[in-house]
Amino acid sequence: MEPPKIWREKRGKYLAMGVECSDCMTKQFPFTENCTKCGSKNVKKYKLATTGKVLYFSTVTQTTDEMMVCTPYLIAIIELADGIKVTGQIVDCNLSEAKEGMNVRMVFRVLARNGSEGLIRYGYKFAPI
Amino acid sequence: MNKVGIVSFGSYIPHYRIKVEEIAKVWDEDPVELKAQLQISSKSVPGPDEDVATMAVESARNAISRWKGKEKDIGAIYVGSESHPYAVKPTATIVAAALDVEKSLTAADLEFACKAGTAGMQMCFGLVKSQMISLGLAIGADSSQGRPRDPLEYTAGAGSAAFLIGSENIIAELEGTHSVTTDMPDFWRREGAVYPSHGVRFTGQPAYFKHTIDASKGLMEELGTKPSDYQHVIFHQPNAKFPQAVARMLGFSKEQVELGLICKHMGNAYSASSILGFANVLNHTNPGDRILLTSYGSGAGSDSFSVTVTEAIDNIRPYKYDTQYYLNQSEYIEYGKYARFKGILR
Repeated sequence: MEPPKIWREKRGKYLAMGVECSDCMTKQFPFTENCTKCGSKNVKKYKLATTGKVLYFSTVTQTTDEMMVCTPYLIAIIELADGIKVTGQIVDCNLSEAKEGMNVRMVFRVLARNGSEGLIRYGYKFAPI
Repeated sequence: MNKVGIVSFGSYIPHYRIKVEEIAKVWDEDPVELKAQLQISSKSVPGPDEDVATMAVESARNAISRWKGKEKDIGAIYVGSESHPYAVKPTATIVAAALDVEKSLTAADLEFACKAGTAGMQMCFGLVKSQMISLGLAIGADSSQGRPRDPLEYTAGAGSAAFLIGSENIIAELEGTHSVTTDMPDFWRREGAVYPSHGVRFTGQPAYFKHTIDASKGLMEELGTKPSDYQHVIFHQPNAKFPQAVARMLGFSKEQVELGLICKHMGNAYSASSILGFANVLNHTNPGDRILLTSYGSGAGSDSFSVTVTEAIDNIRPYKYDTQYYLNQSEYIEYGKYARFKGILR
């Protein structure tokens, strides 16, 4: 986890900030400088919806060292209220209670800690409503 | 003189709880006696991916999303805690970025044991009243540490409360604030130490009670008020016994304390303790009600505040994610999981 990478991704991870194309109105995430649909450079910042529902989910048991503290954890594809689909961890939920169609909202959590002396990376996850 | 007060507020308490019985079982102690002493049945436990920064952000986002103002007007952010995730690198800057209010503002992390949250509130009241800023954000948040088998292990919880302080659309107007501060060796944690130490019984009479009483009395004398002038009173809650005892000593009734006494199921959230109780009162109180809030931080000091609730409070209520929402969230965990979440098992 290099400091420049954490700093560069901050707005996307903290604020779930993507872009909306001012020409074809396509909303996309994460942030890009060009519209991925029409190629226009005429894009503006767009903050994703903060609620959504679980489309698919899976349980993760084998992961990187920095994520081991959370295992086993749920990872899901969430369809947000604005139609954009994002991948994220589901927290505050028993593994046995997760289900497709479950309503969730965005919460702010630690994504990873680089040991006990390195940087802490923060960002969005999802909690059941 | 321009008015100053609270314009919005938000709470956050983690989802997990551990019962006194579960901790007592590990150490072969008597849970009935412990619960009678502490008057606490369980405490909140942060998840493995939570810390003071995440809890501070959640409470601040709740304060902002229930409110109709412009968060870009925030000119100061203070986060009070004794468990900031970094020793060097402020929590307040993480909060600013997560609220998208970078960068024309001042920010700092504060530490004064359990009263660093109210210290931030006082700073914001001062800056707004002197018109140096138009809006300030004061947060008290803690992910408290309690050494395994120490009496603190039964009560050291977690949570956060955030207060937006301004001069327009005030929901609780500040009437006055009064502090007392002395050098008191009742509770401490040295640089690099994982767990705090304390003076056991010494933490009571000369520390908690003396400072809480002196600050509360001092403020009421300044304002010319008496306990019966207040509908609600909130004190720091290291357990449920101390705030009820100090209320009796000051002449407040059980009913005046009840609504703000939130520690019974969530424990002591340190810098967030008294102000989470205050937030719960604000969620249920009526316009015109007068509230007295007195924090206590070891080391030691107390900040006392007197506010009057205004009609504008109904502009930000009801709100789904209020204090009660989080108090109702309670997934009880066993000591093994608690030990893993708290980093006791690595």
